[in-house]
Amino acid sequence: MDLENKNKDHKSKLGNFKLPKLPIKLPKPPPPPTHLGDVELPKTLMYLLPVGGLFTLAFVGAIAAFVITAWWGQPIPVLGFEQTFDQPINFPHTVHASTKQLDYKDADGNTMMGLGTDCTFCHRTVNKTTAAGANAYIPPVNFCANCHGVIGTEDNSQLNILRDAAGIIGEDGTSPINWRRVHRLPDHVRFVHEPHIRYLSANPEHIKGETDGVSTGPSAVCSTCHGNVASMEKVYQVEPLKMRQCVDCHRDNEAPTDCATCHH
Amino acid sequence: MTTDIEKFGTRNWGMIADLDKCTGCQACVIACQAENNIPINTQDRVERARSISWIRVERYWEGDFPDTKARFIPVMCQHCENAPCEPVCPVYASYHNSEGLNVQVYNRCVGTRYCANACPYIVRFFNYWDPVWPESLRNHLNPDVTIRSRGIMEKCSFCIQRINRTSREAKSEGRELEDGEIQTACSAACGTHGIVFGDFNDPNSRVSKLRNHKRAFTLLEQFGTDPNVIYLAKVDPNRNNSEEGHH
Repeated sequence: MDLENKNKDHKSKLGNFKLPKLPIKLPKPPPPPTHLGDVELPKTLMYLLPVGGLFTLAFVGAIAAFVITAWWGQPIPVLGFEQTFDQPINFPHTVHASTKQLDYKDADGNTMMGLGTDCTFCHRTVNKTTAAGANAYIPPVNFCANCHGVIGTEDNSQLNILRDAAGIIGEDGTSPINWRRVHRLPDHVRFVHEPHIRYLSANPEHIKGETDGVSTGPSAVCSTCHGNVASMEKVYQVEPLKMRQCVDCHRDNEAPTDCATCHH
Repeated sequence: MTTDIEKFGTRNWGMIADLDKCTGCQACVIACQAENNIPINTQDRVERARSISWIRVERYWEGDFPDTKARFIPVMCQHCENAPCEPVCPVYASYHNSEGLNVQVYNRCVGTRYCANACPYIVRFFNYWDPVWPESLRNHLNPDVTIRSRGIMEKCSFCIQRINRTSREAKSEGRELEDGEIQTACSAACGTHGIVFGDFNDPNSRVSKLRNHKRAFTLLEQFGTDPNVIYLAKVDPNRNNSEEGHH
């Protein structure tokens, strides 16, 4: 039996089955309700119902966009999802860490230069091996007040929040400053700054990113993950800081990629 | 490029538990609960046999009345070389790393509980509920240890957070790890220094020397799991010689 006959034979076995003709006619949707009990609904509702559907679609889309943004953790400034927060005090990293000329003017009206402070001057525990070294902590208020008890004008409202919290002005016992956390790692990660700073300080060729701040010491290596913080008025997360980024960098630098290195 | 095993697999962590020194005081149990963020075992959890304790002190009786003696044996994850829990895990949440540790990766675990069924030592625990602590213990948790959520397995990790931290400190100071520098929570808490932790690959470490002690034995040796926890048998001056080696 040749192929053509075989196909014919096969076709005959299908019997009387017929494919439905396209386009398939769908049942008509029920008309929109005109009465609610005895009350007659306004006719405009009929036209508003499909518009409501569009709104629902837009709402779901917005939620989906939010979830996707949150999942990737990528700052998307164009959509307004930039991860910049208003902190209790508008702390400018530019003034403290940058080494460049700034837009700020001091009390005498002269343009200011950045101070060029090393990151570890304030974030003291970041390169310590102790348990506290896991986090680059925000310094205590009194540490800020050591300088700002004197430095800065007396009518500077932002500095007065700090002086109030430090007990220099106002009453004692005011509440602490609730800084908002900017950089967040995914759950289940035990990240410690110290070995990363130690390695990158010893191998500066692996540093990624540039900084406006001092280019030596621990400050130079921070830009690899934190971006150019010295140029930021408000700090935001530059890198996605997801596991893929960690593992890529660990592979490039022959660091351990055992699960238990970070997950325990 | 060197692999992880070539570069970092220079250690084989193990533990010696000397039963002659064990008084059954449960200090290791408490220390472990505190160190590893283990939820509190309330009465209803214990009654339903769903309590979690990474290390437990088993009590058993030896001898016939009136010469009965209480014997204690601390049981934690044995970190077996041929671990029965590892091949049964469908998502590789339980695996053996290059340092001889049987590691449980919490974020991989999907909660099949196969590993707990495979384990002959009953040292794997399932989180049937989200862990809760009373308000007074709000700030007591160890920040170096993940809090395990509902639906995943957990077990003794040989205090891997302490291993990592001490290794990091030694590396930062540019020196080699010393024997006895790393202490697990249970070995640090043991009042009689009955639990010793160390590196089996270091021939001069205390655990390597004690491993070949004539009193050394492992739990459920007949299963061939080759545990990394070695026990030293109880010395009993009154014991009949014919009963020697019976455990």
